[in-house]
Parts: sequence; structure tokens; C-alpha cells
Amino acid sequence: MNKSRARSRALVAVVSAASLLALSACSVHTSSSGGSSGTTASGSLLFGADGGNPTFVRDFNPFSSNARTGAHYMYEPLEVVNSIEDKATPWLATGDKVVDPTTIQYTIRQGVKWSDGKPFSASDVVYTFDLIKKNPALDTLGQWQSISSVSASGDTVTFHLNGPDVPDATIIDQQIIVPQHIWQNVSDPVTWADPNPVATGPYVVGSFAPNEYTMKKNTSYWQADKVAAETLVLPASNTPLQLVKNGYDWAYSFIDNVDTTWVGANKQHNTYWFPPGGTIALLPNLTKAPFNNVDFRRGLSEALNRNTIATDAEEGYVKAAGQSGLLLPNQQSWLNPALPDQGLISQDTKQALQDFAKAGYSSKGGKLVGPSGAQLHLTITTANGYTDWLRGVQAVQSQLQALGIAVTIDQPQPAAYTQAENNGDFDLLMGAFGGSGSVYQDFNTLMSSGFAKPVGTAASGNFERFNDAQADQLLGQLKSATSVGDQQKIVDQLQQLMYDQVPVVSLFYGGLWGLFSDKSFTGWPSADDPYATPATWTENSLLILTHLKKAS
Amino acid sequence: MTTTTDPVTPDPPVIEGRGNPLRVVARAIGTIWSEPKARFGVILLTAFILLALFAPLIAPYDPHDGSFPHSQDGSAAHLLGTTGVGQDVLSQLIWGARVSVSVALIAGLLATLVAIAVGLSWGYVRAFWGEAVGFIVNLFLVIPSLPLMIVIAAYLHSGGLAVIVLVVVVTGWAWGARVLRSQTQTLRSRDFVTAAKFSGESPSRIVFREIMPNMTSLIVASFFGAATAAILAEAGLEFLGLGDPNTVSWGTMLFWAQNSNVLLTGQWVQLFAPGFMIALFAVSMTFINFGVDGLSNPRLRERTAKR
Amino acid sequence: MRYFWGRVGLFVLTLWAAVTLNFILPRLMPGSPADAAIAKLSQNGPVSPAMRASIEAQLGVPSGSVWSQYLSYLGQVVHFDFGVSYSYFPQPVSSLIGAALPWTLVLVGSVTVIAFVVGTLLGVVAAWRRGTVLDTVPTVGGQFLSAFPYFWIALLLLFFLGYVAGWFPTSGAYSQTATPNWSLSFFGDALDHAILPGLTILITSFGGWIIGMRNTMVNTLGEDYVTFAEANGLRPRSVAMRYAARNALLPQFTSFGMVLGGVVGGSLLVETVFAYPGVGLLLFHAVTNQDYPLMQALFLIITVSVLIANFLVDILYGVLDPRTRQ
Repeated sequence: MNKSRARSRALVAVVSAASLLALSACSVHTSSSGGSSGTTASGSLLFGADGGNPTFVRDFNPFSSNARTGAHYMYEPLEVVNSIEDKATPWLATGDKVVDPTTIQYTIRQGVKWSDGKPFSASDVVYTFDLIKKNPALDTLGQWQSISSVSASGDTVTFHLNGPDVPDATIIDQQIIVPQHIWQNVSDPVTWADPNPVATGPYVVGSFAPNEYTMKKNTSYWQADKVAAETLVLPASNTPLQLVKNGYDWAYSFIDNVDTTWVGANKQHNTYWFPPGGTIALLPNLTKAPFNNVDFRRGLSEALNRNTIATDAEEGYVKAAGQSGLLLPNQQSWLNPALPDQGLISQDTKQALQDFAKAGYSSKGGKLVGPSGAQLHLTITTANGYTDWLRGVQAVQSQLQALGIAVTIDQPQPAAYTQAENNGDFDLLMGAFGGSGSVYQDFNTLMSSGFAKPVGTAASGNFERFNDAQADQLLGQLKSATSVGDQQKIVDQLQQLMYDQVPVVSLFYGGLWGLFSDKSFTGWPSADDPYATPATWTENSLLILTHLKKAS
Repeated sequence: MTTTTDPVTPDPPVIEGRGNPLRVVARAIGTIWSEPKARFGVILLTAFILLALFAPLIAPYDPHDGSFPHSQDGSAAHLLGTTGVGQDVLSQLIWGARVSVSVALIAGLLATLVAIAVGLSWGYVRAFWGEAVGFIVNLFLVIPSLPLMIVIAAYLHSGGLAVIVLVVVVTGWAWGARVLRSQTQTLRSRDFVTAAKFSGESPSRIVFREIMPNMTSLIVASFFGAATAAILAEAGLEFLGLGDPNTVSWGTMLFWAQNSNVLLTGQWVQLFAPGFMIALFAVSMTFINFGVDGLSNPRLRERTAKR
Repeated sequence: MRYFWGRVGLFVLTLWAAVTLNFILPRLMPGSPADAAIAKLSQNGPVSPAMRASIEAQLGVPSGSVWSQYLSYLGQVVHFDFGVSYSYFPQPVSSLIGAALPWTLVLVGSVTVIAFVVGTLLGVVAAWRRGTVLDTVPTVGGQFLSAFPYFWIALLLLFFLGYVAGWFPTSGAYSQTATPNWSLSFFGDALDHAILPGLTILITSFGGWIIGMRNTMVNTLGEDYVTFAEANGLRPRSVAMRYAARNALLPQFTSFGMVLGGVVGGSLLVETVFAYPGVGLLLFHAVTNQDYPLMQALFLIITVSVLIANFLVDILYGVLDPRTRQ
């Protein structure tokens, strides 16, 4: 009996604590007011660019894939590449010169200071390249796959390459530079969180809280006069609902019904621009029958209505992709004029059935049957959770089913999907290519047999395992071509090859989802003025942050 | 996920004799029917089953047909509007009953069968084997079920509904086994079991012929409990995108609704309707359990309390 | 005493099995941590071959044979050292969990206690006033609400009370610019953020307690000693409270022990919807990003807390109810 009395007293204690909690909960609830961060102080830019998981960890190591996005507004590259116009803007270097196909020289900008006041020099550039050589985990651009040595004399840095590799300049351009006087004292630069970066860029870290951090303008920035936003405010949570409600200035996000949701939230100021950032394609496993048969691949390509697929996948925000291998309209200037209809393939089921027949598959009783008499059965692999791709695959499925092909959709989790992609463990895989900002890199990653590994061994490019002597030869030539005219001739042939051989079946362009508001700042990139992409997680943002003007 | 309380009393008395099985069933149905809440549950559950069976007749369109205007609000042609790829929401809701209801009932049934097999034998055997079974059951009870489901679903990708059923069964049987075991333990010492033992009946016969019929109501209750847990688990898994988004079920409807941000676009019906169906279906089963409780425990059945 | 040591032995054995299972489960999932990191990056666009190589160099693949990984894992478990997370590289697992655990414990823990207390009290009243409005409304209403999928309730609350009405914050555990500290204003802020997720859990869980308490108590109200007490002329109220309710509490506490143990693992969906920085969300992130070290540590914490709760309930039962010791 004693025990149970003690128990019931404990119970009373619990009850009163609970009611206290409930009471105080009530009092807060009446005084609360929706609480949002939308700081609208003049000169501050609410920026939906960095997501917490769910809160921020203070890690600004610019080489880490888990670093805060803000690292890219502090550390700067030699030149900023705008992948839309395929053009590099001189940045920490004032320019580069291809001395010969194996030697590239950069002239380093004078008068640039690190944010701690120390001067920036060519030796920092050499140091950075040495650093990433010693720590391959930091070499996110694969510099040392093509560079053999780096040396500085005065304000000139000279890169010697392993072989002729003119397109490598685009890669060297993008290397961000870190200060030697800081990083040489870091014991492990791979795991260092770099909480207070010393960099050359337009911003430095302001306040930092787990749910939001700010970046202040770097007053000693070498082009400080071009930086209009005094403060960047980066919340950890940027759901579409919050984007619409809290009045963001710039956000990167796919948003449904953009015209009614984002634009509708502030008709006067809100705009968007969704330029293509890569090509979404069906990658056939070329080591397997029937995908190793070019007639079969052509049949597949002709069987599809890409407009429907693009609309289903991305709500009509993007266009169907042509079979040139180029990202259009970004790379319009490279387009081979000999390709019919700019390389676009329109649906032609009759032609598709003829090509399937050439490959040994003919229509019988509404079913496409192979030589063995069994119905053609394809499995399309796409990553679980990439719902836009899934919508696209569902459209492909119904279009192929209409021709009598049985289609199964396989949706492994993203990690398992990547593994399947790397190892060539698929029939048809929904994948993406291109968008690097360099025609050479785009075609090389897609078609070079150097990337093609046997099935079961992890590849890092050319996942369809295309192996074509002509492609390899053309890519080799492109590597050493220095004049634009020569390059154009080779790129024309690569496009023709892509069009004829169908190593992958291009479907639609993947968008870059830029949402802008000119309420506080103007000068956002757009289709009319594509000086940068809307991407927020690369040095590309530097172009925008130094281009904005305060709204009057 | 926080509470797994089944509406099951720990020590209900034996009430059913071993009479004519038909009469027992009839009496049981009568008992359930006499409880208004349970009657409501039975009617509701029947309605859901009919909806699932006759979905092709009831639904105005094919749920996969994406030929309608995209993201429409409700209208005469599409009472609940259309999805982001132009499918009729009402038709999806009706067809969704097929998958959701059958997954719940099948998974609930399988989980209950496993629970019966394990729980009864566990309750009857003693010493080492009892501890061994107890060890396994405890293991399944302590492993967090939702994370375990996620891991299993991630491992068995694209297996579709069979995977969901499997995952729900694997993670859902242990609780029932524990409840049935304690009841078996109680019954084990009753006279009729002792009598059966002395008359030389085999242990399996004693367990499944003598003891089990006395636990019918508990088993039915744990079936409805398991089926309720199953539909909620199915919805949770599919909502997280771990199901097969190609099938039309209430859980995948919620997944797509959340994915196309229907709260933002104002088409919150797409989120509300499937969730409400899941809730109603679960309600129908919990309400039937009100009556089942009365079956196992006459005290719960009495309408007027004595003071 | 033999009963006690038997329980302890079983506890240790189950603990070992759970720990081992935690090691095996994550490794059953296809794809490596590097694959997961690449997949995450590729959502922004095609990932270059060089980037893939650098990520693999950074995260690597777990080194050594599975057996040696298992042994070093057991060593880590003993020392409570779980290494470095893959998906939050280079953050140590222990600091991630240390930051997330208090939020879950406080939010889900206190709501579970509230639900238990409120539900049990309502259950007592329902049983005592059986057949009246006081019985029907809480019992039916509670059961009705507990049948709702709780992420769905969470979404509706989030939308209607958070966005449409604007009464409550909609994500996180505290406001944007706040940094966790011990001030009163931060406490108020955190409470404000806890209301919607707390309400979600409360709404969907208190029904179970009502029905559990009510049914057990209806049973005890029919027991001989209650009838006897009534026959002796004790007031019905004190009979109900002192005899029936008290005895009906034991099974109720058993379930409570189980549920408290499940607090850590039970909050996944609600935390996901509200972006609440607790262990549930951390776990979901770990699982979807193939973060073995983080997953193992979280599974361990969850299983151990459930095990301990179970163990305590077992021991408690042995102490309170001699019959189970046979």
C-alpha cells in the first residue's frame, strides 16, 4: 500500500508539471505572430540558396560537398565560367593565353587583397594547385588529370599539361584559390571546417545561427563598387510555401504552377527564369542486346513524343531536347546547320516500327515480339524521389506500351541508382549529361571510350558505355584544336555522330530554377540578358552578385 | 508511432463455450452488431470493401488517364479536380481503395497469422524454447519499426505492393504475438487444458484446438489492430516515397500531392481527401474493435454501469 | 534474485543481437555513401567525373573486411565513439546526435507524458461514468483521432494554423536568428515552435490511453473486491478512485514504459514534416544518405532506450506481480 501511495503522488506531480506546460503553451500561443525571417532592412537580400539538414553546420570549406553555399560567395576562381554563353569572365586572373596546346598562361590580377588585409599573389595560386595535388579529395575539378606542373614568375602562372589539351583552360579557369598563409597551417584541409574564411570575394560571414546565417559585404573587395547588396540573408529552410510567403529576393527552387504561385505572390516584382542546365536522356546499356543495335536505338528514339514527356516531367517549364548532344539555346552557336530541324526528332511510330523490324522486333497482335517470339520487355531505371524524372519515365512508358512494348519502371533509392549507373547495371537508365559550360567536356564525358568501364566496374562518365573509334578520334582532335573554326568542324561531326549513332536518347532539358524579385534589387539574369545562370551553388553566383543594382 | 496501444484488456475471461461453431459465430456477430459504434464500423468497412470491389464501375475515369487539363480545381466533370499531370482525383481516390484496402487487410491477416503461430506456441512452451522465442519477439519489438521499414523498403526497391506487405508484416507481428502469448499463458493453467493434457492430446492440438478457439475475439481484435497499423504504415511509407509511385493508392496520392505542393497551389483537396479516406478506413476497424472487446469481455458490453 | 539475473542475462543477449542487427541492416542497402553523396549533388545537374572522383576520395568506402568492420564497430559501441558522419562529413556523429537528441526528448517526451496523463484521467472518468457523454465523447473521439495518419494531421495543422492563420511558426525548433541558449526568451521561442508538432503527436496518441485505461478499469470495477467495498458502504467515488483506478494503472504503466522507450524512434514523420531538428529527422537523413556511422549510432540509441524501458517494465512487473515470476 505504501508503494502505491508513493506512485500516485508521483502521478500528481507529473500532472501538475504537465498542466503547467500546457498553460504556458497557451499563453505563448496567443502572443505568437507567425514569425518569419523576412528581414527587409534596406540593402539586404533574402536568399534561398542554402538548405540546412535541417539546421546549418558552420562549415565553409570550399572544397567540401557539404559546405555552406556561402563559401562560393567568398572564395573566387581565376575566371568565372558562364555555362550559358560558354564564356569565361576574367576574375582573379586578368586573362589567359594558350601558348601552345600543352601550355596555358594566366596573368594574375594586381591589387587584390585577402579579407584579412594580406595581399593576394601568384604564389597563392601555385599553393592552391599544390594543395589539391597533395589532397586528391580536394581536387573537385580533376585538375591534376591533365596538368603536369604549375609555376609562377612575377604575376604570370604557367600550366604545363600532360598532352595537348586546349579545353582544359575552362577547367583551370574554375579553380577557386585559397590563401597560402592560412591554409598552410591547417593540419587536415579535407576535414577542416574553415569557420571564418579568409578569401578574396565580395562577402564575409556575418552572423551565424543554426537556422539562418548572414553574409556581410567585404568592404575591401577589389570590385566593391559593383556589389549592391550589403547583406545576404540565408535561411536554413526554404520550402516553396516559405518562398512565396516570406518575400525572397532570389531563390533557387522548382516551384509548381510558377505563374500563379511565385509570380502570383507579387505580380509587380516577381519573375523567374528557367534556362536549361543539362540534358535528361535515356541511357541504353550498349553492352547488351538489343541496345547495342543502332536500328533499335533509332526505333526507340522515333517512338517517343518528347514534347509530352517534357510537359509531363517539368510542367512545361522546359523544352524537348534534340539529338545533337548540345544544350540549346545555350550552345546555339555550335549547332551543326546540317542537322534537320536543329536535331529535334519528332515522333514517328511508323518509322520506329520499321527500325525495330530491322533490329529483329516486329509487331504481332499488338505486341512487339523479338526473334524468340517473346514480347519485347524493357526496364527503365530511375532514381526514387526524383519525381520529375519519374513523370517523364511514366510518359515514356505509356508511349512505348502503345507500340506493344512491355515497360517496367525500376526505382532504386538514389544511392543504389548511382551505383547502378556507375556499374552499368541497367537496361535503360534515366540520366543527365552536359551543362559543364564546355562543349568538349560535354561530349568527352558522354562519348569518350576512356570513361567506359566494363559492366560491373564503376565508371565516372559515359555510363551507356559507348565505344566508337571515330568519336575518340574526334575528341582527341578537339583537344588540340586551337582555332574556333577547327573546333567548329570537329563539333559538327560529333553532333552528326550523336544524331546518327544515338548513343543516348535525349528527352528534355533539365532546368535551372531561378526565382527573382526586383523589389529591392534589379539586374537579374534572364533570357534576354543571360550573363549568368540562376545556379546558386557555384562561383557563377559571383557574376550575379557583382551585377545587381539597388532598385530605385 | 508513439503509442501502440491495442484496445485489448490484459486478462479477459473465457466466455465462449465449445458449442456449435455456427452458433458461436452468430452470437459473436450479434454481440458486435448490438454495439452501435461497432455497427457503424462494420457498415463503414463494408462500404470500403464494396468501393474497392466495384471501383471500375464507380470511378468516372481511368485513374491513370492523364489526358485532362492539368491542375484543375473541382468542377462538374472532375468533382475533386485534376492532378499536376491531368488525372482525375476522384477516380484515383476510388481506385486507390483497391490497393490500400487490400494491402491493409492482407498485411493485417498475415501479421495476425504470424502472431498467432508465434504467440500461441510461445505461450504454451516453457523453459528454454520459451526464452528463445521471447528473445526473438523482443528483438522485433525493440527495433524501431519505421526506420526498419525504410531500410527494408530501400533494400527491396521496386518490388511494389508485395514489398510493402512484407515490410508491414515483418515489423508488425511482434506486438500481437506478445498479447496472444500472455493470454495463452493464462489459459494454459485452466482446467480444460489440464484435462486435455491428461487425456494425452498432442501439444499442437492443445494449443490450436483447445486454447485458440477461446481466444477468437482477441485474435479478431489483433487482426483489426494489425490492419489499422498496416494502413497507417503503408501510407507513411508511400508518403515518404518508399512505395511504388506508379500504383494508385491513397498513400501514393498523398506522396504526389505533397510533391506537387498542393497546399501552395491551393488544391489542398488532393492532400485532404486521401488522408481522410485512410483515417475513415482505420476508424471503421477501430470501431469494430469496440464490439470485439465486448465479445471477449462481457463487462465492456454492459450498457449501464452500476454505481 | 534468479528472476532478476535471468532478466539481466536476456537483456544483455538482446542488446548484443540488436547491436549486431544495427550493423548488418545498413549494409544490406545497395549503394555506398559516396554514391549517395553523388546522387544528392546530381539533383542540381550532371556531376562531372572529377567531382565523382573527389567525393570518393573524401568519403572512401568502408575499409577492411566486414568482419574487421564489425569488430571495430563493437569497439566503438563500447566506447560510445561512433566516428565521423558521411552525409555531414566531417562532423562527428556524437556531436550531431548530441545536438538533435534534446529536442526530441523534450518535445516527444513531454507530449507523451501529457498524452498519457490526460488520456488516463479521461479513461478513468469514462469508465466511472460509463454510458454517459463523459464516456462516449472522449472514447469515440480519441479513437477517431488516433486513426488518422499522423503526418497528415501534421500537414493540415501546418497549413491551416501555420500558413493560413499564421498563428504558429511552421518549421524548425526556434526562430531563424536565434541561437540555442538558456534564456527565458529562447525558451518561449522554442515552446512556440513546439506547439504544432506537439499538438500533432498529442491528437493522435491520447485516444489509445483513454481506451486502455477505460477498458482495464471497467474490468477492475467488476472485480469482487470492488463489489465488496461497495457493499461495505464506501462512497462510489472513492471506490472508483482508490480501488479500481489504482489497480487498473499497472497495465497502463507497462504500456507507458514501452512507449517512452519508443519516443526516440517514433518522431520521424512529424519531425520530417516540421523540419524539427531532432533525431527522427536525423535518422531519416542518415537512412536516405547511406550514412552508416550515423545510422548505426541512432539505431543503437533507439534500440537501447526501448530495451531499457522493456527491462525496467519487466523488473517492475516481477516486483509488483509475483505470478509472473513462476
